[in-house]
Amino acid sequence: MTEIERHAVDVVVIGAGGAGLRAAIEARARGMRTAVVCKSLFGKAHTVMAEGGIAAAMGNVNPHDNWQVHFRDTMRGGKFLNNWRMAELHAQEAPDRVWELETYGALFDRTEDGRISQRNFGGHEYPRLAHVGDRTGLELIRSLQQQVVALQQADFREFGDYEAGLRVFAECTVTDVLLDGGRVAGAFGYWRESGRFVLFEAPAVVLATGGIGKSFKVTSNSWEYTGDGHALALRSGARLINMEFVQFHPTGMVWPPSVKGILVTESVRGDGGVLRNAEGRRFMFDYIPEVFKEKYADNEAEADRWYTDPDHNRRPPELLPRDEVARAINAEVKAGRGSPHGGVFLDVSSRLPAAEIIRRLPSMHHQFRELADVDITREPMEVGPTCHYVMGGVEVDPDTAGSRVPGLFAAGEVAGGMHGSNRLGGNSLSDLLVFGRRAGLGAAAYVTSLGQDKPVVAMADVDQARQRALAPFGGSPADGPPENPYTLHVELQQVMNDLVGIIRRSDEMELAVKKLDELKRRARNVVVEGHRQYNPGWHLALDLGNMLLVSECVARAALERTESRGGHTRDDFPQMDPEWRRALLACELARGPAGAEAEVRVSRHVQPPLRPDLLALFDLAELQKYFLDDELTDHPRWQLRERA
Amino acid sequence: MTATVETAPPAGSRGPVPPAPEGSTTVTVKIRRFNPEVDSEPRWDSFEVPALPTDRVLNLLHYVKWYLDGTLTFRRSCAHGICGSDAMRINGVNRLACKVLVKDLMSGGGKATTITVEPIKGLPVHKDLLVDMEPFFEAFRAVKPYLMTSGNEPTRERIQSQADRARFDDTTKCILCACCTTSCPVYWSEGSYFGPAAIVNAHRFIFDSRDEGAEERLDILNDVDGVWRCRTTFNCTDACPRGIQVTKAIQEVKRALLFRRV
Repeated sequence: MTEIERHAVDVVVIGAGGAGLRAAIEARARGMRTAVVCKSLFGKAHTVMAEGGIAAAMGNVNPHDNWQVHFRDTMRGGKFLNNWRMAELHAQEAPDRVWELETYGALFDRTEDGRISQRNFGGHEYPRLAHVGDRTGLELIRSLQQQVVALQQADFREFGDYEAGLRVFAECTVTDVLLDGGRVAGAFGYWRESGRFVLFEAPAVVLATGGIGKSFKVTSNSWEYTGDGHALALRSGARLINMEFVQFHPTGMVWPPSVKGILVTESVRGDGGVLRNAEGRRFMFDYIPEVFKEKYADNEAEADRWYTDPDHNRRPPELLPRDEVARAINAEVKAGRGSPHGGVFLDVSSRLPAAEIIRRLPSMHHQFRELADVDITREPMEVGPTCHYVMGGVEVDPDTAGSRVPGLFAAGEVAGGMHGSNRLGGNSLSDLLVFGRRAGLGAAAYVTSLGQDKPVVAMADVDQARQRALAPFGGSPADGPPENPYTLHVELQQVMNDLVGIIRRSDEMELAVKKLDELKRRARNVVVEGHRQYNPGWHLALDLGNMLLVSECVARAALERTESRGGHTRDDFPQMDPEWRRALLACELARGPAGAEAEVRVSRHVQPPLRPDLLALFDLAELQKYFLDDELTDHPRWQLRERA
Repeated sequence: MTATVETAPPAGSRGPVPPAPEGSTTVTVKIRRFNPEVDSEPRWDSFEVPALPTDRVLNLLHYVKWYLDGTLTFRRSCAHGICGSDAMRINGVNRLACKVLVKDLMSGGGKATTITVEPIKGLPVHKDLLVDMEPFFEAFRAVKPYLMTSGNEPTRERIQSQADRARFDDTTKCILCACCTTSCPVYWSEGSYFGPAAIVNAHRFIFDSRDEGAEERLDILNDVDGVWRCRTTFNCTDACPRGIQVTKAIQEVKRALLFRRV
């Protein structure tokens, strides 16, 4: 075999978004030689697109806030399907992560007494999102990027080498995680620019690759979101959970066509924006579900008072969790009360003075003026749901972020469990920081525990990875016409959008599974032209395999779950079913008979029961809306209820 | 079957061309190409692309890549002006391809429209519109773009007044796209110049009330390749897709060097 570029390190982090960089910083701090591998240029990761803020119960704006309230909100938002331990760690540690980011130099909007300001957001009981205007994600990435530069310059002063502790491999794609006896031994990838292969020999890999949105036609996600980490985990033997839950953000741009799907931040509603249908009606009052009736105002007067007096009024229903708002918009459009371009109206112009809109929502003002010729200080925006986030991901140990494959860790969007069936806005950036750090810690502890017993990369596996990567250059396929990756990608996006989208039905999903099978077969015949040097067609051909695998998980899991909950809405099973609350669907790759291709298998598992002290944080009456009676016997009020 | 496959032209990355959308006009997209494997010099390629007035230049490039020439190479990521990956020279001006609408480039009076797209200037071209960004990031790193403080870290946040925070708001909007630096005639001729973007990122910390490294950064920018190279041509300010007052920031650094230094 030919020579290959090799790097021996302790930890490889795949992805340089918020979770990846935070993991890398932590691993290096624990003395690990760390490599960060990312598909884009350094500092361009999808995290930059997060607008609203970082949820953390610092209590700077409302002193009543604390981690217990944040925990409750997160569990409610996820309809109690969340991994409670992750939700607990997240709520407890988020404030420390925000303060730490501030010590890295992050800019934040400030309160009058100079502390970090916090804003309201859907599903959060108190103003909780630390933010920088509407460019919080950009600032988060920049602060972590700056921290990496600072650490590299410190390493240079100490070791004479900028990259002694932490090296970034930008525009480099990992295509395989390599194993040795079931344990992680390294990672194989290629430089996007030269097409040359690169081998990382490392006993620990942290997946921080983000989401899967590019499998859907209308999405707010950037091109990197092809489910790479999800697919790498599956192919390494890890399990994915909650894959049926995909969040459609209620407010994406719907017009003009070239920008369809681009996000309109939830801050517009947090700062007073309201949703109206074509008849001018604030329709969200018609869509407050039973479980939320006590928390949300049922009339405009009370909803409007809430902005200035939140302690004595209920919240406006525009700030319901995202799944509720997205479904409501979908229903209004279906009922023929949509806007001219198939959305609804989001109006902030009649709610705030123009100068205040420009101050609070500068990016939105700019985005609509530049791309849609709409002045949001004078007229409403047209918005509709857009695929935004996948709640599903790698099943991990909450404390260490480790998967069931020794040496394989996952953090951020690629990890599953934290958000249950639906993520609250603002809980993503905090998730990245909390579990990015924990993944870095977990990987470092694992590598240390190995001592001299390090897994070794087998060259036969490297050869196989190379052959797999080169397959699209293989020339004429044996069993059908050559296919091109762009066409297949477009078809995949259409299938997912039409058949496994925001509202789902069993016959449509069965059709989707069939179509995905067919696409998978055709994808084997993908042929690309040209050479390996910066060849976008080849890159897409490889990403396409990941998207197909992950899409299959979404479709099969969604077909299995016969209820509606959070980011999974079934037309044929519209109710939430407490039996399903404690059910967890897991996807894994099952090897068929020798020679046959591995296929996705979905299995049903029981959720670990909620710890009694966490159960006690909720009113029994609220829990009874979600849980079966036999799950609530540990609640302190259960016995009282029996006596009464 | 086998025989016809053998003789069939190699399948490319090209897809079947979709029907032109209603209301579209055909525009010529003239792209400066360079493939280091075959070209000794850059060349121009022209493509006829159906475009809606509300399309962005990025959409046209995608059309070329998906349907006309799968080898066309350019960077893009978020596609709405936040990540700063798709800076290019569009009709001679540095812009982000995801933020320029076709209607703003249309020729008047029913004349045919040609849109020229070139890589940003002053950085080595790797392939087509893709340039080597490393010299740009090197200058960014050279100004020590991170918070420098002394003493113990606070357990919670550092207090910063709203006025102090507003002081450097403008320069924190930078997305490191290189539109400013590669529009600067000084940078074109003298690549050793730090360039506007690096100065913007130094400004972001020099005027941050929490930072204590201003003197160190001012020393760096007082260097022969520092702020004094700036000839205030305002190209950088015009080029900035985020509307940052780049030239003003450079002037503020110059003034800090002249008057504020102890």
